[in-house]
Amino acid sequence: MKPNRLLLRLLVPAALVLLSNCTTTSKTANKATTKPVGATDARDDYAVVDAHDPLEPLNRATFWLNDGIYNVLLRPISKSYEFITPAPVRQGINNVFDNAAFPVRLVNSALQGKFKRAGQEAQKFGVNTFAGFGGLIKQSDRIPSLTNVPREDTGQTLAKWGVRHGPYLVLPILGPSSARDVFGIAGDYALNPVNWLFTLKGDADDFAWIPPSANTLRQLPDQLKKYDESRANALDPYLSIRSTYYQNRQSAADE
Amino acid sequence: MNCSSVLALVFFASLLQGRAATSTAEAEKRLRGAVEEVLAVADRVKDHSTLAEKVRPILLKHINFDTMTRRAVGPGWRQFTSEQQRKATQLFTTLVIRTYSNKFTPGEHPAINYKAAVSPAPGRVDVPTTLLYQGSHYSVTYRMEQESSLRVVDVVIEGVSMIANYRTQLDAQFKRGGAPAAIASLEQSVSHPQ
Repeated sequence: MKPNRLLLRLLVPAALVLLSNCTTTSKTANKATTKPVGATDARDDYAVVDAHDPLEPLNRATFWLNDGIYNVLLRPISKSYEFITPAPVRQGINNVFDNAAFPVRLVNSALQGKFKRAGQEAQKFGVNTFAGFGGLIKQSDRIPSLTNVPREDTGQTLAKWGVRHGPYLVLPILGPSSARDVFGIAGDYALNPVNWLFTLKGDADDFAWIPPSANTLRQLPDQLKKYDESRANALDPYLSIRSTYYQNRQSAADE
Repeated sequence: MNCSSVLALVFFASLLQGRAATSTAEAEKRLRGAVEEVLAVADRVKDHSTLAEKVRPILLKHINFDTMTRRAVGPGWRQFTSEQQRKATQLFTTLVIRTYSNKFTPGEHPAINYKAAVSPAPGRVDVPTTLLYQGSHYSVTYRMEQESSLRVVDVVIEGVSMIANYRTQLDAQFKRGGAPAAIASLEQSVSHPQ
């Protein structure tokens, strides 16, 4: 394999993982990760998220490295993409890739025994593919029973099966995660048809790298916006994003 | 239990149910009013700092910042002097208003769908909403509590509680250096330009 192909095979999945994991997108948390630290009044039921973070010094260093990479490398790419594609075009592209990724949601709904939700995902895919020009227009939003169907992923399935988070990890470029969610991300990657051709052929010369790379690019603006929101007005950005990550995963698991 | 006791119980239960329904309806009405006031301001301004300044009186009316600050600080709050509590509340209020204002892009209107409010505990009402904003759906739950009036005490966006998030950070600061460290971190964040 040529060096550039090897680099592509490593970087494209890595970037995809970043985009599905670096901020507040739906992920699973473990209920055992929170515990109350004392109430300030009778109605105070808040808890400090007690993350298992044995690698905190290393994670903090990686966090700041990532912050620099996002600002220096990813943000200009994101802004260029937003500059050359009008918002309606970006929305259409997002819809197409989101529709194509339906096996991730379908399989994980079924693996968690949520068959009604799996049925809704299948209906959404059918409606958007056939009535929405291959998913370009999200026609399912016009059907009340198909709007806001909670999204299932492999990390949530592992949580449902009783797999614990394991240590909190900040992965280089990829952002906040946990040992469990690293496996979850790999599962999501394998179930997404956008990656199949590239994974099977693995040849940078045959253009199979274009769909996963485009999928990475189209998610950049939203993901960086979510990252900025979690980071803005934080007293300790590292703790803020770690807390956001765990709370969001907990909420997704509860749905 | 005789017949009159059963009737009294049924009457009392229906009375309680009626009060809960009134409370949830009132919470939703108040929230709708507050959100509409904020959106009306957001329509008129062009940047986030002006928005934060203009919505401040509205948010002061509808949000209980004393309760918010106390809970965000957590158990360490009892060890703050009254002057430190006043200072922390003042700084945290500014921070929350800024954080909330940053969620809006001036001039852009979210479509808000209010779902049925629930009362998980006496004096507390959670109003779940879904937001369609810039093509994306978000779930936002407003936690409201009755003290002198029904006011918002937390906003939970996509499962992430603003108060729980700040408590994680402020608790760490307090453990590191007590009330002065917690206040210093708030001061630093507030003084940071937007």
